[in-house]
Amino acid sequence: MITGNGITKTFRQRGDVLGGREVRALRGVDFAIPRGGAASFIGESGCGKTTLGRIIAGLETYDEGEIGIDGTSMSPLTPKQRQPHFRKIQMIHQDPYSALNPTRTVHQTLGAPLALRARQTGRSRQWMDERAAEVLSLVGLDPGTVLSRYPHQLSGGMRQRVVIARALTVDPEMLVADEAVSMIDVSLRLGILALLKDLRERLGVSVLFITHDVATARYIGDDGELYVIYRGQVVERGPVDTVIADPVHPYTQSLLSAIPVLHGLERPGEQPVVPLESLDESQPDTGCLFARRCPFRSGRCESERPALGATRGVPQEHACFHPERRSVIARPMSGV
Amino acid sequence: MAHPATAQAPGVRIDGLTVVYRTPAGELPAVRDVSLTLEPGSITGIVGESGSGKSTLALSLLNAVQPPGRIAAGSVEIDGLGDVARFEGERLRKARGAHIGYVFQAAQNSLNPLKTVGKQLLDLGRSHGVDDLRGLVREARELLGRMGLDGARVLDSHQHELSGGMRQRVGIMLALVLNAHLVVLDEPTTALDMITQANILRIVREVHAERGLTTLVITHDIGVVAEVADRLAVMYGGRLVEQGPTREVLGAPSHPYTRGLITAIPRLTGDIDEARALPGRPPTLVTVPKEGCVFRERCALRMDVCDTDDPAAAEHGARVVACHAVKVREHA
Amino acid sequence: MSVLLEGSTTSATMRRNFWRGVWRVMRRKPSRLAGAVILLGFAVMAVFGPMFYPEHLPRDLAAGVYAQPSAEHWFGTDGQGRDVVALVVTGSRYVLLSALVTAVVTVVLGAAIGLFAGFRRGRWDTALMRLTDMKLTIPGLPLLLVLSTIWKFGSAVEMGLLLGLLGWGAVARAVRAQTLSLRERGFIEAARGLGLSTTHIVGKELLPSMAPYVAMNMLIAVTGAVYAQVGLFFLGVLPYEADNWGVMLNLAVFGGGAMTTTAALPYMLAPLLAILLLTLGIVLVVDAMDEIFNPRLREE
Repeated sequence: MITGNGITKTFRQRGDVLGGREVRALRGVDFAIPRGGAASFIGESGCGKTTLGRIIAGLETYDEGEIGIDGTSMSPLTPKQRQPHFRKIQMIHQDPYSALNPTRTVHQTLGAPLALRARQTGRSRQWMDERAAEVLSLVGLDPGTVLSRYPHQLSGGMRQRVVIARALTVDPEMLVADEAVSMIDVSLRLGILALLKDLRERLGVSVLFITHDVATARYIGDDGELYVIYRGQVVERGPVDTVIADPVHPYTQSLLSAIPVLHGLERPGEQPVVPLESLDESQPDTGCLFARRCPFRSGRCESERPALGATRGVPQEHACFHPERRSVIARPMSGV
Repeated sequence: MAHPATAQAPGVRIDGLTVVYRTPAGELPAVRDVSLTLEPGSITGIVGESGSGKSTLALSLLNAVQPPGRIAAGSVEIDGLGDVARFEGERLRKARGAHIGYVFQAAQNSLNPLKTVGKQLLDLGRSHGVDDLRGLVREARELLGRMGLDGARVLDSHQHELSGGMRQRVGIMLALVLNAHLVVLDEPTTALDMITQANILRIVREVHAERGLTTLVITHDIGVVAEVADRLAVMYGGRLVEQGPTREVLGAPSHPYTRGLITAIPRLTGDIDEARALPGRPPTLVTVPKEGCVFRERCALRMDVCDTDDPAAAEHGARVVACHAVKVREHA
Repeated sequence: MSVLLEGSTTSATMRRNFWRGVWRVMRRKPSRLAGAVILLGFAVMAVFGPMFYPEHLPRDLAAGVYAQPSAEHWFGTDGQGRDVVALVVTGSRYVLLSALVTAVVTVVLGAAIGLFAGFRRGRWDTALMRLTDMKLTIPGLPLLLVLSTIWKFGSAVEMGLLLGLLGWGAVARAVRAQTLSLRERGFIEAARGLGLSTTHIVGKELLPSMAPYVAMNMLIAVTGAVYAQVGLFFLGVLPYEADNWGVMLNLAVFGGGAMTTTAALPYMLAPLLAILLLTLGIVLVVDAMDEIFNPRLREE
């Protein structure tokens, strides 16, 4: 179980003489991802979803709040003490080209973490070789042909599989996949997504999927939770299919309305929501963060910020004063 | 330079186009024997994965394939211009920009980071011999305003001061400001998030209608084409495997590759296990089969004839499909 | 199982593949092979050359002083009637040994400091880069001139050490910049996430990615060091104790009047040609470094 409570993070950009600009990347985020479960963070670029993923993977520090890994709180620990805990959470980067060292073969890439483990547990070289072959088979690669290859000799899809295999060498509890398929050829994407799904089922690894593509998030974990993040705040949170079918926050509705409709296969949603303006982070932070762009805002939205919570009759949590279900997504055409 | 006054929405006829790249293994075709017509005033979308030849095809429209590549055969007839595949030097340079606007991949790297947008606009105007630079700036400001931006502010900005969506709109402005009526958009929304993508696609559609353009959109994302294009062309391994009206192709894809691509898209509703991955992986310039069908290795409908004969593109109503299996089914 | 066999022999196989790759890269352009042959020639000359000559070179009284080139003396003789080719050969050991020491010191110090500063960032980075800045502001030649008044540089290793200690600043800066950009790459982050040691990350992940760069700098440092010390000896600020190409140049110009008369011209040209040839060899080989250390370019 990986949990987070009130995580905040502010980046201070070093600016000119007058001092830098502050960017509030996260404004108090809570989350809980059960063992073997799935969760997805969705939102526009710059909403803080990647920062949150990096914090969860231990690659970035947080300012306030609490991260718990299997019941152990990270905050009182020193970076050295945190390390073995965060090792249970492995990041799958977006770019499989920079995620593998171009000067090292697959054997070397997998060998380094395996050697470390073999040293710690007193296992043999043979165990390392067996384990390397095993993790490669798990990700659907043939060890005999792949082990001696350099990254440039592999296709994008194969590289991403090697990246996942490398993460599996340390028997992780959770994989954090940040836009893990966006740089992979379209016909190969589903294969990688299916692999992540398969690892969930076979190894009980939980998956945290970070994306702006809601449909891929659904594919990996339709039994998991969807977190819709806007400017560092979770604005809607609930079971994947509920949030997709009956979103209540206008921001979630805009995100879902923006998904292209496969005309000919689908008919557009009935009540699409289009934001009034484009995202401008230089705007003041008073009131609801989405108010300025929201077609349904009221006076209250401009002065007061709604907190994430439940209201009666709505199955998911949301941060909106005027929650209303709207059917925004495209539906399959009948007869197809 | 003759100015065709009737340049509104030109038609384009690509015929038997083959583009080859020189490699250590000899000259290999990146685009092979492609014929495609862009009707005046239409939006055509070309969908393909990396290595499908879609970007090379788009560059051929400007005769801008860079060495070691070259157009080896075929023609690209543009109304009011002629066969650009034969153009050279100054004539070619004038045609680009003035007649054909090209919007580069999400406009990320096509802007000069050291110059303001306005300066680059003036450079563009001068290099095309525009006398009325004031008029050019006015036109640019209007276009930017039309796309929901503050024109004056954007012209004063450097690339790094603009967001991805704004850069993309600047790219569209630069492609249209010289009054081109044929516009090529290369991956217009890659690296943009959903809301920005929806905005850009809406703008593409609206500007296309208002200015009377012929538009070609190159993308790997079927969703993008589904949103904007009237006609859809699918490329694989340098070949155009299927083309037809977008809704028809999406609703009832004929070619096994098109069908595979569409079933590989995860959907928002319904059973998630309906989405299926396509086996194998797309070929590169070197691994693409020299004879027979380029798709056969990943194809569920593979027959003996696919190993030896490259299927010719055949018309089936409004659809053009290059597949032996489809032909057999039609005749059955 | 074939996988296991492959696993246990991998490092040996990889080493063999690497050298096979190097050979392939070198063969790609004849100029590279030519460069390698030149460098090999200089190495042989410096190591074995002096062994063929007596401690004190004999004077050829028959040929006389400043003799013109002949079959016996290819570049004539010097002001004392000694064979010029023999002087170049015996002088090469000092020149090349000190240049090698300089290159090694420059690259080891520069890369170590650059890597450490770039990887640790923060306070260490600031401190080390201040130090580098200060070092870069020290003008090299005047300092050498001052030092030469108290230090005689009889040994090539001393000379090399000193030049190396003066020269690592630029390499450190460049390596730090590379480290800063590389450490943001996914594979470095992944290595940290997997809990791999800093030694592993720096030695096995960062350094190999910078190898072409470091190797190039090393070769270029060799030319720099040759110029620097030959220049010092030429200026005559160092005593004539050592056999050195710079001393030859000095004697040819100031003793033999090579700039005004033709007699000592071959005497002056011989060391100049040697330096030129050495630089050419290095330039030709540097061209291959990128391809040697980049697996993609190596295999293609």
